[in-house]
Order: sequence, then C-alpha cells, then structure tokens
Amino acid sequence: MLDTPIAHSVIDHSLSLGADFVELFIERNQINSISTLSSEVQAVQSGIDFGIGVRIVYGTKVLYGYTNRTENDELCRIVTELSAKDLRDPETSSASFDFSVPHDIHRAERTLTKGSEVESKVEFLLKADRTARASSNMISQTRGSCLQREQSVEIFTSEGLHASDIRNYIRASLSAIASNGSEQATGGFNDGGLTGWEIQEAIDAEKTGSEAARQALVNLSAKACPSGRMPVVIGPGFGGVIFHEACGHLLETTSVAKKASVFHDKMGELIANPVVNAVDDGTMAKEWGSINIDDEGMPTQRTQLIKDGELTSFLADRIGAEQTGYGRTGSGRRQSYKFAPASRMRNTFIESGEAELDDMIASIDRGIYASHMGGGSVQPGTGEFNFAVTEGYYVEKGKVQYPVKAATLISTGPAVLKEISMVGRDFALACGMCGSVSGAVPTTVGQPSLKVDDILVGGNA
Amino acid sequence: MEVAERVLQWVTDAGATGDLMVAEGSSLSLKARDGELEEHKVSSSQVFGIRVIKDDKAGVAYSEAADTAALRLMVDHALTNASYARTDANEQIPDTEITLATDDALLAPSDNVTVEEKIDAVLRLERELAARDKVKNVPYNGVSDVTAAQRIYSTAGLNAVSRVRACFSQAAALVEEGDKSVMEGWGQGARRFDELDIDNIVEMAHANCLALLYGEAIPSGHYDVIFDAQCQPTMFSTFSMMFSGKAAKDGINPMRDKVGETIGDPRLDLFDSPLMDEGFGYALFDDEGSPTGRTALISGGNLETFIHNSATAAHFGVQTTGNGARSPRSTLEVQLHQLEIGPGDADDDAITAGEYLELTDLTGTHSGANAVAGDFSFGASGFLCRDGERIQPVRNITVAGNFYEMLNKIDLIGKTRRWDMNRHAFMPPIRFSDVAISG
Repeated sequence: MLDTPIAHSVIDHSLSLGADFVELFIERNQINSISTLSSEVQAVQSGIDFGIGVRIVYGTKVLYGYTNRTENDELCRIVTELSAKDLRDPETSSASFDFSVPHDIHRAERTLTKGSEVESKVEFLLKADRTARASSNMISQTRGSCLQREQSVEIFTSEGLHASDIRNYIRASLSAIASNGSEQATGGFNDGGLTGWEIQEAIDAEKTGSEAARQALVNLSAKACPSGRMPVVIGPGFGGVIFHEACGHLLETTSVAKKASVFHDKMGELIANPVVNAVDDGTMAKEWGSINIDDEGMPTQRTQLIKDGELTSFLADRIGAEQTGYGRTGSGRRQSYKFAPASRMRNTFIESGEAELDDMIASIDRGIYASHMGGGSVQPGTGEFNFAVTEGYYVEKGKVQYPVKAATLISTGPAVLKEISMVGRDFALACGMCGSVSGAVPTTVGQPSLKVDDILVGGNA
Repeated sequence: MEVAERVLQWVTDAGATGDLMVAEGSSLSLKARDGELEEHKVSSSQVFGIRVIKDDKAGVAYSEAADTAALRLMVDHALTNASYARTDANEQIPDTEITLATDDALLAPSDNVTVEEKIDAVLRLERELAARDKVKNVPYNGVSDVTAAQRIYSTAGLNAVSRVRACFSQAAALVEEGDKSVMEGWGQGARRFDELDIDNIVEMAHANCLALLYGEAIPSGHYDVIFDAQCQPTMFSTFSMMFSGKAAKDGINPMRDKVGETIGDPRLDLFDSPLMDEGFGYALFDDEGSPTGRTALISGGNLETFIHNSATAAHFGVQTTGNGARSPRSTLEVQLHQLEIGPGDADDDAITAGEYLELTDLTGTHSGANAVAGDFSFGASGFLCRDGERIQPVRNITVAGNFYEMLNKIDLIGKTRRWDMNRHAFMPPIRFSDVAISG
C-alpha cells in the first residue's frame, strides 16, 4: 500500500533527526454495514478508510502523527514537525527491510473484496426477524445488523521489519423489544469472527432470532433485583467480561508500566483462587479477537496469564516491554492508523474447571444467577469495576426463583478473583468491542459458569 | 469547492439528489509521565461522505481517499446501497439553496499559545499534581487542541461551513495512604488554549482524591439523591433516546405515544438550547442546513415534542426542530445540541436540607442502562450529606432505578443553574427522592 522506497526515505529522514525507532503503519479498511428494522432493510452503508500512522520514539518519549496522504514529502513533513523539539545527531541507522507475510491461520473465503453479498445478509437478518416475531405476539420490534470489514495493514520499522496482513471481520446481531402494553424490555443475540460471510453456515438465523426474543420475553417478566452483598453464579461466554474488566485490563503493560495497576508488582504471586486459570490467546482460529500479527508486526501467541491462581504473565507491547522489562507478547493493538499501539487483550478467558452449574446454584442460599452479562468498565488504579447483568435470576435455597432486571455487579479485581470458588465445565466464548487508550478493538471474552462467593449486587428492590 | 461540484454532478447525472459532507480536522495531544513528555501526537485528516436519494431510497458511502477514482467509487457505492434500502418518501434532500457559515471568532478563535507552551502546560499539570500530598502518581493526564471543520454541499444548492475549536486538559491522580487508594480527576474544556486553568485542574483533582480516599459503602436503602453538575447531565443524556423523533419513528422510543402527556413532575421544564453560545453545543444550523432554535421538550412535566430532522418531521407531519445530525460515515439521525433545564424555586438551603446523598461519580453508564425500558444500575461514589455538609465519603455503592419513573420523583429543583464540565448542559440541581442505593 506504500511504496518501499518511500518507506525507506521517511524512516531514514527520521533517523537522521536522531530518532531511536521509527514505525510506519499503513491501513486500508473497507466496511459494509446492513441494518434492518420493522422487517425491512433500513440502511446499507459502505466506506473506505485509508491512512498512515507515523510513530517515532526518542528514549521513552513517543511521538505520533497520521495522515491520509502517501507522498514522501507529506510523510517527511510530519516527521520533521513531530521531531522539532527532539533534534539530535543520528544514533541509529536503518536496516534493510525483511518482508514477511505471516501464516494465515484465519483464512477467509467470502470476503468483501469478492463481494458484499447484500442479498444473502438481508435474507439472514429477515429470517432472524421472522423467527423472533413468530415466537410471541409480544415482540413489538426488532433491529438487525450485519457488519463486514476487511482491514489490510502494512508495517515498516527502522529495525528492518516489513510485514503485511489482511483481517476479515464479520458480525451479525439481532435485538428484540418485547412489550405488554405498559412495559418494554429488550433482548439480543450476536455472533462474529475473524472470517468471511461463510460464518452464516455456523451461526443460525433462527437461533439468532429465537434467542433475542427469548431474552426480551424473560426480561419483560423480570422483577426488581434484590441488592446487597451475596453470592453470584456468572454464566458462560460473555460472563467472561468479569475477568476482562476485573483483571485483564490490569495485566496490560499500559497500566502496569505506570504503576496504575494493582497487579504491577504481583508477578509470581497468588492473585486469584487456585481454581482460576486464565489465558489471552490470539491464535484461536477465526475467533473474533484473533490476529495473525499484532499491529507492531509481531506474530501473535497464546499467553498464560494466571496458572492455578498465580500471576504468570502480563500483556506487553513494544513500549510496554521496554518500560517494564517483561517480554513482548504480540499484544500491540490499535483501532486504526489514528492511534499509536498499546498492549491490549485478544481472546481472553478463564479455562474450564470441574464443577457443574447445577451444583453452583444448589450451593446458594440467597443470591443471583447472572446467566448473561452486558458490558462494564474498570478503574485501573484501584481495580474497581462494574458490569451489567442483561439476564439474571434470583436464587433462593438452591433454586432459581424468578428473573430480575436492572442489576449491576461491582467489586474490585483483586477481591473478586479470590472470591471465585467454583469453575464449571460449560466453557464458551463471546465477542465484543473493547475500548482503551488505543481505541476500540475486537476482543473475545470467555469462561465456563463460575461462582463468586461474595460480590455487591446493585438492584432496585 | 470544485471537488464537491464534480461529486454532486455525478449524483445528478445518475438521476438522484444528494448531499456531500466533507469533514477535516487537525489536532495536537500531549501527555506527560514522570516529569517528561510521554506522548506527542499530531494529526490531520479528511473524509468525504455522500448521501444519495433515488426513487425515494437513501444510500450513504464514505471515503478517506480524495482522488477522483475513489470519490467516483464512493458515489457508485452509495447508489448501489440506496437500491437495497426501504422506500421512504419522507427522507429527501431539503430544498435549501443557501450559503451558511459559522463565526470563527466565536467558535474557532485563535490564540498565541505555542507548542512549547502547551508542552510546558502538560508537564506542569503532571508535576504539580504529582507533588501534592499522598499522590502516588498521575497516570492519566493530557492537554489537547482540536480544530474541526465540516462542509455540507447539496444538489439543492446548500453550501454550509462550520468550524469549531476545542481545547481540553484533564488529569487523574492515584492517591494512596496505608491500604486505602483512590483515583479521581478533573478536567476543563475551552475554545482557546489560554483559557485552560491548569492550577484549578490540579486543585480540583487533588481535592476530589482526598475527599473520597476514605470512602466506604453505606447501608443499602432508599435515599434522597442529588447528582452533581457532571452526573446529572449524564443521567439525562443516557436516556436522551426518549426525545428522539428518529427512535419514535423506528418504534423503539418508549415515549413515542406520549407527546402531549404528562411524563414528569409539573415543575420540570427541559429544553434543547443550541443558541446559548457559552456551551460547546452551540449551533446556528444543523447538518441539513436547517436553522436551529430553543425547543421546549418538557414543559410543566408535559412532553411537548421530540427532536426532529426533516425526515422524521415529515413522518410525523410537523416541522423540523433543527436537530438533523449526520457525519460523513452515517445516515441521517437526530441529536440534541445542549440540554437546558429551567430554574426551580428551591434555594440552596432548601435543596440541601436534611440528609441526602450527593453522587459525584457514576460508572457503567454505557452498559448499565436500558433506554427502552428506563431501567438502570450504575456504580457510584459521592458523599452522604446533612444540611449541605458532607459528613461521610461514600464509595463502592450502586444506584439503581427507572429513570422515567424518577422524573416523577422530583423533590426539589434548585434556583441556581450551572454548566457541566464539558459545557453541553445547563441545569439546576435536582433532588430526587426514594432512590435505591446498594452498599
């Protein structure tokens, strides 16, 4: 996407101004988005993003700029402007580029380059819509979405790296509104992956529609949630957001290097109940949070974060590795060329254990079964987090009693990791978007069902 | 603009109408760490977005590439996208042949602050906050200076240019003492960099940290609650879908059948007020070129109207309220400019009488709210207060309820109005009664 001689010229220019490290990140991002509403197509949108990010490092200082233009003069102008306050004699010379294309472990077939396949996607979404509406006359509205994206990246560095990759993302979803005349409630279902539209063979339109409707109807019948400290069983799949928020963000060198993470000095220590084993894995074939190489050109890997409750690794990008002394983990990620990379999660999950879901619920005298979770957030410095329950049930004397609404779980990372007492076998993954200093990136969360012995439940009862 | 004429000619040649949006921006952002500049980021960007309407079907496409081939492809994609869309005779390119421009002296003023002085500002911000009592470090800090320009051209002859400048500075400190820790911050926005008050940000961030360091949960129960100047606008904006004509048209606005009905306390008057030029949401015209104005959304507790663009207004048979919103990448939507709540009759002593909870921070507002149902549950912190005095810092609690029901649980509305930190809302404090708190 960028002529190699221009890349050489820009990097040489930057090194001549005394930079220690220079990187060019070129991105072309093609998107196609289809939305449905009221059983018909609401909109089809498409577009192309293109730009170049220039990262220059002087010691610990990072300079970053970006442009939509590819001319040598424009790129050198940005370098000169960024480096104006740091000029010094050259200390490094550039290396010859060693071009590499990574092994594609997420090969896609039905890509945007081959065609946007609007008719097929519309058919899928409308089938999901019909299924949802057919499940109950209380389903008053549905909204469907199918987003396909093809991101091509090319990276040059002053250390001689020249790598490129193409990432194909696809995600389909349906949300449903159930209404009984006086009240409304929502439900939803989505799935996606690092693959092409062939994903439709794996995700079922009828399941998408029926699951969205089922959840909306459950929530329509929900009562106010009891509040206070109590045990909570968190369901599989997107329930893994608890680990993502409570622990994952605190293991990124972005916060570790600043000592803004409560775990920054806990390497090798027991930070979780010994039943907890956690992993961040970018290599899982065609999963939403996977990559071949990270946005710094390093091949991705599987990183064991916690083993038997003990902290075993942080997630480190290039700068984070330099600042903390821990090795890079292929975790340098960014939303687009408009962001400098930072250490970010990929597919992050708690591994399966030995417990059964029924035994977890049976062990609760008074608590909550949060079968489906929503999003949340964390404050890295203190580890305080919150996340929302999108489908939950009140449990009393070991039995599920009734659905509850408007519940939030809040705690701190260190506290909740030690309160996980049972880890189930029903492992599942779910896709989402994670926002942080380098923008929003696709990430997968996952876990089996697990029991937290004591956590604050915010309810309205 | 020659490019715009060429693009719109392609649209016309295809038998369609359309509008072209060109967004340009430049920015500088700086962050400090341990007394050194950690990040220095500059950018310049441009994106073209076309909306076409053909046979009463709308399609959009965008491109960050500005060469002729890329722009031609963008128009072709928009026409193809339109062919799949549902027929909607209400969405048309407004017949507005007019040239509009914002006042740069007001919205994009220049100053003489150099890059070196901006670097000095962020270094001083981090250094002075880090030197304060009990501060361990200042992991999140920065200053930024952003200028954005937006041009809209339509086949009907609209030529609208708006340019805005926004400067921000913020810092969050990690404060520790013994086994207690807290991270709180403060920030400020201005249209000129030299209007940023670094000393005040340091003072406020530190004061917020110390005030909450020893915060503890309080017993679960129902409390009177006053959301502070930042949190109260957050609550209203989280549920702003209730005012959306687009959401009403789409059948997802829970208030879609309630225009003209009482939905809140009779003392509640709420407006969209784009003409208050102190606010960052100040706008003379919207993204369709329609003039804006002060729109009464709730008067005396009655829902008066939704906010509209030309398409939603046509759907409901009313006039646009000048709330059309579009970016180069999006379809036509609606959005509030800046919220205003009318002054109440309670003076400061009355609104802070007795015991109440002052909430100064809400977390999870993006995930813990359901705007369709009105239900919410957020993490929160603040202060238990009595007769205007903060008697106990409070942390690790949740606040939960139904926002639409809360509009009828207003105890008092204050007389004195204040802008929020981001200057998008101008409101008096409201005391809500009987709010569920979990601790």
